[in-house]
Amino acid sequence: MLNKSNSIRMTVYAALLLAGASLWAQTTASGTINAVFLNESGIALIFDTDPGGVPLGASGTTAVTANFGTVSAFGPLAGGVTRPSVTAATFTVRTRFDVQVIESGLASANYTLTAALQGAAPVGFTYAIDAVTLTGAAQTIQVNGAYNVDVPHNLDLIISTASPTGGGPSVGTPASQTINFTATAN
Amino acid sequence: MKKLIMIAIAAAIMIVPSMASAQTASGTLTVTATVNGSISLVFNSDAAGVALTGSGTNAATLAFGNVSAFGAVGAGVVRTTAAASFTVSSAVDVNVTKANSASANYTLKAQLGAADATNTWQVGGVTVTNAAAATVTATGAYATNNNFPVAITVPFATASGTVISNTINYTATAN
Repeated sequence: MLNKSNSIRMTVYAALLLAGASLWAQTTASGTINAVFLNESGIALIFDTDPGGVPLGASGTTAVTANFGTVSAFGPLAGGVTRPSVTAATFTVRTRFDVQVIESGLASANYTLTAALQGAAPVGFTYAIDAVTLTGAAQTIQVNGAYNVDVPHNLDLIISTASPTGGGPSVGTPASQTINFTATAN
Repeated sequence: MKKLIMIAIAAAIMIVPSMASAQTASGTLTVTATVNGSISLVFNSDAAGVALTGSGTNAATLAFGNVSAFGAVGAGVVRTTAAASFTVSSAVDVNVTKANSASANYTLKAQLGAADATNTWQVGGVTVTNAAAATVTATGAYATNNNFPVAITVPFATASGTVISNTINYTATAN
């Protein structure tokens, strides 16, 4: 009895579905959706690999890595790394990276870019971006950054030539430093 | 009047937050580098010797010019004459610089680029050939010009007008 009832119910459902399909084919219907959204203005910052620099890890994101590889005052360097200067006291190795600040819904014409070291720099290392020496406090790198394009920057590592026992950097051990960037709409 | 004040206050409340919240975005770049110790060798013209072409680099040229057993020699060239040969020499400075190294000094070796069965070559008083690198010094001081004269001994039997040319390869190794 229960099975028979189910069969009848299924038959009715099928009939209704078929009827509905038939009706849909023969008529048109219209409707409106009143969509309301709030356009939140804002900016986002990402790093991109520069063609002349080292390939960034996680390029295109807000948190990337730049590996200079093995560096020395006189030895060979990795691709994308240059050595613009060697003095008795220091040598500088350089790479380029791109910053892209994406703007949406703002009247801002450009942005100010600042950078700061996160924590103390490794012994014997000084970091500079576009010749601006970085510290733990935010340093202004650019005051008129253009939105929505890759803006190249030079990242310099100024490294002491002193030996590890003479106050210079550790040798043969990777030294890492995180740099925090902030873009502020002008 | 009260209504106007209320409207003004409401407007002020709406404006203040938009002024206070500057639009910012942030990102992090983590930089990694591994420092290695290294040394560099350059040749410098010695004040008492022949002026080097390429002085200050690691690929220099020492041109003695025309030399003879008894005739005039160029500036910076010193000549000594023996029974069957004469030797011309010139002071040449070698400057080895170190970085990120605790090395106290360096060993300098020299080797001819090609065999010379006729003439004898010396660097810093040490005979050099193309067979093996000869040690010129085992205790070279860094970051200073060290004069290691280059000398060539030429037999009298050498025909006039003979051009003598060779390359001397230097290698400094940190001790």
